[in-house]
Amino acid sequence: MKNNTAIPGLPHHQSPRSRREFLARAGGGFGAVAATYLLNHSALGDTLSKLQAPVADPLNPLAARQPHYAPTARNVIFVFLEGGPSHLDLFDPKPLINQLAGKPAPDSFVGNLITAMGESHSPLLACKRQWARYGQSGLWMSDWIPHHREIADDIAVIRSCVSDGLNHSGGVCQMNTGSILAGRPSLGAWVTYGLGTENQNMPAFCVLTDSNTQVINGPRNWGAGFMPAIYQGTKLNGESPSPISNLMTPASVGDARQHAKLSLLQSLNEEHERSHPDLSELDARIRSYELAFHMQAQAPEAVDLTSESAATRALYGMDEKPTATMGRMCLLARRMVERGVRFVQLYSGAGSKWDAHSHIEKNHTELCAQMDKPVVGLIKDLKSRGLLDDTLVIWGGEFGRTPMSEKGDGRDHNPTGFTMYMAGGGVKGGKTIGATDELGLRAVEDRLHVHDLHATVLHLLGLDHTRLTYFHKGRPERATMNEGEIYRRITTA
Amino acid sequence: MAMRHFSRRKWPGLVIVWIGFAALPARPAPTTDVPAEHARFFETKVRPLLAENCQSCHGEKKQKGGLRLDSPEALAKGGKDGPVIVPGRPAESKLITAVSYHDKDLQMPPDDQLSAAQVDILTQWVSMGAPWGTTAGAQTSSAKVSRKRVITDEDRRFWSFQAPRDVTPPDVADGGWSRNAIDHFVYAKLASEGLSPAPRADKETLVRRACFDLHGLPPTPEEIDQFVKDPAPDAWEKLVDRLLASPRYGERMARPWLDLVRYAESDGYKADAYRPNVWPYRDYVIKSFNDDKPYDRFLQEQLAGDEIAPDDPNVLIGVEFFRNGIYEYNQRDVKKHWQNILDEMTDVTADAFLGLSMGCAKCHDHKFDPILQSDYYRLEAFFAPMLPVQDGVVATTEAKATYDEALKTWQAKTADIRAELERIERPFIEKTANAALIKFPQEIQDIVNKPKAQRTPYEEQIATLATRQLYDKMEAGEAKVTGPEKERHLELVRKLAEFDGIKPKPLQTSLLVTDVGRTPPPTYVPGGPHDKPLDAGYPVVLDRLPLDKPAAEPTAGTTGRRTALAKWLTQPDHPLTTRVAVNRVWQFHFGRGLVGTASDFGRLGDRPSHPELLDYLARSFVRNGWSFKQLHRLIMTSATYQQASNRVMPAEAKSRDPENRLLWKYPARRLDAEQIRDAMLLVSGELKLDGAGGPSVDPANPRRSVYTRVVRNNRDPLLEVFDVPDTFGSAADRNHTTTATQALLMINGDAPLKHAEMFAKRLGALNLPPAQTVATAWRLAYGRAPSQKDLKLATQFLTGSPAHQGSPNAATPVARSIDEKPLVKAMPQLGSQAIYIRNARPDDMLRLPAPIGMPTEDLTVEAYVLLDSIYDDASVRVIASQWDGKNDHAGWSLGVTSAKSKYEPQNLILQLACDAGQAGGGKGGYEVIPSDFRIELHKTYYVAVSMKLRDTTAAGITFYLKDIGDMDAPLKTASVTHTLTAPHNNDRPLIIGGRDGKPAHGWDGLIDEVRVSRKALARGDLLYTDGRPPESALCGHWVFEDQPGIFKDTAGVQRDLVKQITGGRSSSVSAGIDPALVDLCHVLLNSNGFLYVD
Repeated sequence: MKNNTAIPGLPHHQSPRSRREFLARAGGGFGAVAATYLLNHSALGDTLSKLQAPVADPLNPLAARQPHYAPTARNVIFVFLEGGPSHLDLFDPKPLINQLAGKPAPDSFVGNLITAMGESHSPLLACKRQWARYGQSGLWMSDWIPHHREIADDIAVIRSCVSDGLNHSGGVCQMNTGSILAGRPSLGAWVTYGLGTENQNMPAFCVLTDSNTQVINGPRNWGAGFMPAIYQGTKLNGESPSPISNLMTPASVGDARQHAKLSLLQSLNEEHERSHPDLSELDARIRSYELAFHMQAQAPEAVDLTSESAATRALYGMDEKPTATMGRMCLLARRMVERGVRFVQLYSGAGSKWDAHSHIEKNHTELCAQMDKPVVGLIKDLKSRGLLDDTLVIWGGEFGRTPMSEKGDGRDHNPTGFTMYMAGGGVKGGKTIGATDELGLRAVEDRLHVHDLHATVLHLLGLDHTRLTYFHKGRPERATMNEGEIYRRITTA
Repeated sequence: MAMRHFSRRKWPGLVIVWIGFAALPARPAPTTDVPAEHARFFETKVRPLLAENCQSCHGEKKQKGGLRLDSPEALAKGGKDGPVIVPGRPAESKLITAVSYHDKDLQMPPDDQLSAAQVDILTQWVSMGAPWGTTAGAQTSSAKVSRKRVITDEDRRFWSFQAPRDVTPPDVADGGWSRNAIDHFVYAKLASEGLSPAPRADKETLVRRACFDLHGLPPTPEEIDQFVKDPAPDAWEKLVDRLLASPRYGERMARPWLDLVRYAESDGYKADAYRPNVWPYRDYVIKSFNDDKPYDRFLQEQLAGDEIAPDDPNVLIGVEFFRNGIYEYNQRDVKKHWQNILDEMTDVTADAFLGLSMGCAKCHDHKFDPILQSDYYRLEAFFAPMLPVQDGVVATTEAKATYDEALKTWQAKTADIRAELERIERPFIEKTANAALIKFPQEIQDIVNKPKAQRTPYEEQIATLATRQLYDKMEAGEAKVTGPEKERHLELVRKLAEFDGIKPKPLQTSLLVTDVGRTPPPTYVPGGPHDKPLDAGYPVVLDRLPLDKPAAEPTAGTTGRRTALAKWLTQPDHPLTTRVAVNRVWQFHFGRGLVGTASDFGRLGDRPSHPELLDYLARSFVRNGWSFKQLHRLIMTSATYQQASNRVMPAEAKSRDPENRLLWKYPARRLDAEQIRDAMLLVSGELKLDGAGGPSVDPANPRRSVYTRVVRNNRDPLLEVFDVPDTFGSAADRNHTTTATQALLMINGDAPLKHAEMFAKRLGALNLPPAQTVATAWRLAYGRAPSQKDLKLATQFLTGSPAHQGSPNAATPVARSIDEKPLVKAMPQLGSQAIYIRNARPDDMLRLPAPIGMPTEDLTVEAYVLLDSIYDDASVRVIASQWDGKNDHAGWSLGVTSAKSKYEPQNLILQLACDAGQAGGGKGGYEVIPSDFRIELHKTYYVAVSMKLRDTTAAGITFYLKDIGDMDAPLKTASVTHTLTAPHNNDRPLIIGGRDGKPAHGWDGLIDEVRVSRKALARGDLLYTDGRPPESALCGHWVFEDQPGIFKDTAGVQRDLVKQITGGRSSSVSAGIDPALVDLCHVLLNSNGFLYVD
């Protein structure tokens, strides 16, 4: 899996000295070192050392690190359905909605609910789906996702997700970072910080989107927040032979000149380093150019699908127009985790396309058709290759949708109760977790707030969310913002 | 602010729809097994709520109505009329009825209605089956919900809560090393650990260090010579003074301050709307540093400029500080939104000025620091009276008077027109406003609908925040006049526009604040008791300072609280303010403060490495009139600062101080993102050092980075990859990461390559022999001469590198990253998808390769556009063209003029080149037809030109312009004569956003919905008026939406566009420059010698 073959002509550089030596020689400047030092020397060191912030190797901050305890998952693929898919029309049937359709929801359900578009007292919108139970476990699914029937026994459907984000911006931000307010590291960044990556020649955290439309909030959804930028996600262009920005040598320069330049750069940097003893960052920077060119060798191969069989492409729906884009993204996701990429996030409906305030029939019919087969293909493919055992697949959006109608034929945002599912990575498939009330408005049983979901994801990766901390502004910050409980039953029947 | 022709007002008479109550369905009985998350919900949300709001009457002491609400048993038993809850059925539960205040005979608590959120918590709880924790024997439940933390004397004794002391520098036997007092402290500490300082750095190193520190730029060869060749003993002092006196100093110093106050120019939410009027604050910060404004004054102006000197625009602008936070344009939970805004202001004030991280205390007493939760909200109470002002005028009294005078004249002459306009528009505006208002919860609607006089101060704040969303709707032009009076309306708009000549130019505005009035709204700890509001006050651990009570004197219209806070903070012996400030300056010079955690002087923060030195600096800072420049001078003239950085670590340091906290050498550092960009621009000769400030520019523009746009959700890739902070919160320092992404950007990215080309062009123009070229390059990039080895390497590279024989090497072409789809963005105000062209980048443009059937004589070109910048020269920002730019080649081009155009900048023009030799004849030649419409930057416009080629009267060419952001703006028209009458037929491609051929005149910004017609369209046929030309005249209509496709011609004529593919990076400078020299320059910009400062 690992490709360490140097590009011919690339000057070789001695690998850096030991970490211990580095620490002895460090001139400061790297946050993690400072934090470590602080932990060991502060008056509160004893208290705080219990918090066990991971110690990143300053010369190789992405080096793979041991989790806190034995994980059941090593990688994550998060399929993010941006805009908020309707749980009421996919996984969470509510006959009462159809019984009361056209009337306002009873006050007992609505309470003082605030919705984004003020639809809390609008008439209930009937669900037009056909429902049935599938798999040995009898999971409920609607006819909008027929392919999902095949994986009913592989997925754990969580019907009781809860978020604080009333709008897309806050919702997407919280599902990614734990907070509806910007500024915190994304879950993928936390995982990368906690575990590093198995493959230094690919970004540890990759993001793919299904269109050029910007995802709500932009790149900060996969940002590192207050942590160093090295932990942030890298958006890949899965359609291009040059999937990472600035990956390829410009044609106007060409390989021969590029190698001549790198060789000169190497010489100048080594000369500079000789006159700067004890400045280890200089080593790291020299190495960063080597890494960049290993990446140049490996990333195009990772996105090159020519070696994939026709059967595999068909499994992902790449041979049919509606599913071609998502199919390609899902197949790329499999190839990423095969290559040791730690965290992959796929955006379906980039730019809030799932946001069916009106015409939900048309909107969800199209988007479900784009998503259904590729995601199922991914899970089946991972399973048949034995990758599902240690790859956690997460499916969901920033919130669900209201039973109340909007504009006559749409549904408003519903963060108080919605559905996500997980598969693989130790998750016990074929079960339904939690419940919403009889209108699907609020989660009432086994409520799993976003913090609980994040704690659970970290747990599956062998990371204790109470111990995975990063020092920022004098506070040991956690991915779960000092909240969150692990839902341990997710791994058991 | 009376720029609109009718004032903002509130919208009365909104319809309230009461939703009826429907029958409740049966549901299964709740389970007796309480899941953990239910228990947690009860413990964290319900139990405190019951304890604080209910149990005083329904608990151990009193049992009104026989009801107790302090144990599960009591709850099950209920009151004298039986149980008050039915588990799982909130609608049947009396408790919920009572707290909802729906039944006027049953309202609890009787005096203090619960908030909507609290009612919601209880409703959810009952829905869950009313679980009561996991513990049995709930008799103890009315026990304290939170243990009160007490501030002890020991807490108060913590070092940073003591006033700085006057310290005498220790005597040291340093053999004459010390140059000033700083060195005494440093030397003493070093000596105590068996360490000694490093020797002084050489003069080249020192001048480079000083220039990067104080100007953020490398020294020019002249600056180097001036210092290095100056034999005077005070040459260094003179250099420092010279640097401090330059305007470059303020541009550099502003940067860390702007990080600290999370300065950015966009909202940071989904819409991420650009804030075109916040740059005056950035200029204010720059100017304050350049003027060496005393820090106490600087602080006071930012916290309370509106109270201190409301009429002085140079002071007033300081309070924009509060407005740098994020804002969500469509948040219906207005109360929570306002709370978030207040919290954010509290956090940033604590971080930036107080140097205490108080965020923990937002939810509970601080676990590690002696900060109480009530401390947090008492600090917040200083800001709680605040009212945001959207269009705050920052102008002098004279300017305002002149403006008002002119406005009065305009108003008098247009009174009738405006009155009629208002009459026609009012119903449409009210409709729009009502449609927006009903999306809010009823409670918020009620507040908005209340007459202003009846609103409490808090309600006024809530109403203001909610109403802003209504205004935004109206400003987005959603209140469009339709129906029978549409024509009359257009006519009036036109008539009003005739008076534009006497309408005064709007005054500069910015985002400001004031208070809601002299009476503050009450502040409570959220979820805490509401019996007594909190006073504004200081953290208890610090409240023994002389000013122990906020001496807030209400001003004419404000509470005066912020002035009180500013005065408290700027007491000369405040334990935190001055220490925090001088420590930031120390960090600025040494990469790390004496306290390593610059915004956290609490217990979890770092301890000072040199506490006495910190106090000494704090005291002398105050003695020197809170002068930053004096402080820089003191630090930089120390021997400590002037040490060499390239010292081998002494054995003692390995064991005692591997981190160099004691400063046994000067710490070499990687440059910050802005320093890297600015340095590349300076050495390449591109940097424009105008120092003029003003609106921010795209990073493609060679101005200093401090003047480039800061859009929160869309950062400049170069700055981002080198760790600029995310601007969502206060940032006290920068990360300095080293990543492969940086390497890729520096070696393959467009911007560094372009700088390398410009650098090479600059060197090439000198026509020097290779060795001298290398020496000059070294001097520019590194500020020194090359070593013999470097000289040899580089000269060989220039003259004998096989890679450059017959280059560029085309034998092994490597695919460039070519995105299939163009860049798109949402068009502000319209929300539709627009194509995004970044500073005339050819790869961003779209083209119609075979322009068959395009106009040859008459034409109409229409588009929605938003312009981000203009060129510095006379180039044209082209919207659409079918022309190669050569005056003797036929064609046309619609665009906007730039800085040096003789038609004045930002003028919408049509360029016409007609060929008399073409069939039909007529007058040929080249002609510019100016509309004299001014296109302002960052605004959304509809623009159009329609031309009847053979009609050379004023009726021949008409331009149309509509400012989409200003609903009051009319669709303006301008009729202009022209002289050419011959056809402009040509076979060039139609290009959206640019022009065929070189140099590439091109757009910078957004273009949406382009329509081209072979006919001079009448007003009613225009896109803006929802008109359509006859099918036969329609040449193409491109809307750039994903459906039916970004490239698709929606006119159905199948004139689909393609992406402009230039086959490699276009470069106007590479021709004629030695590629080996370009490559050498590029290597220098990538090298560690360039990116690090010693």
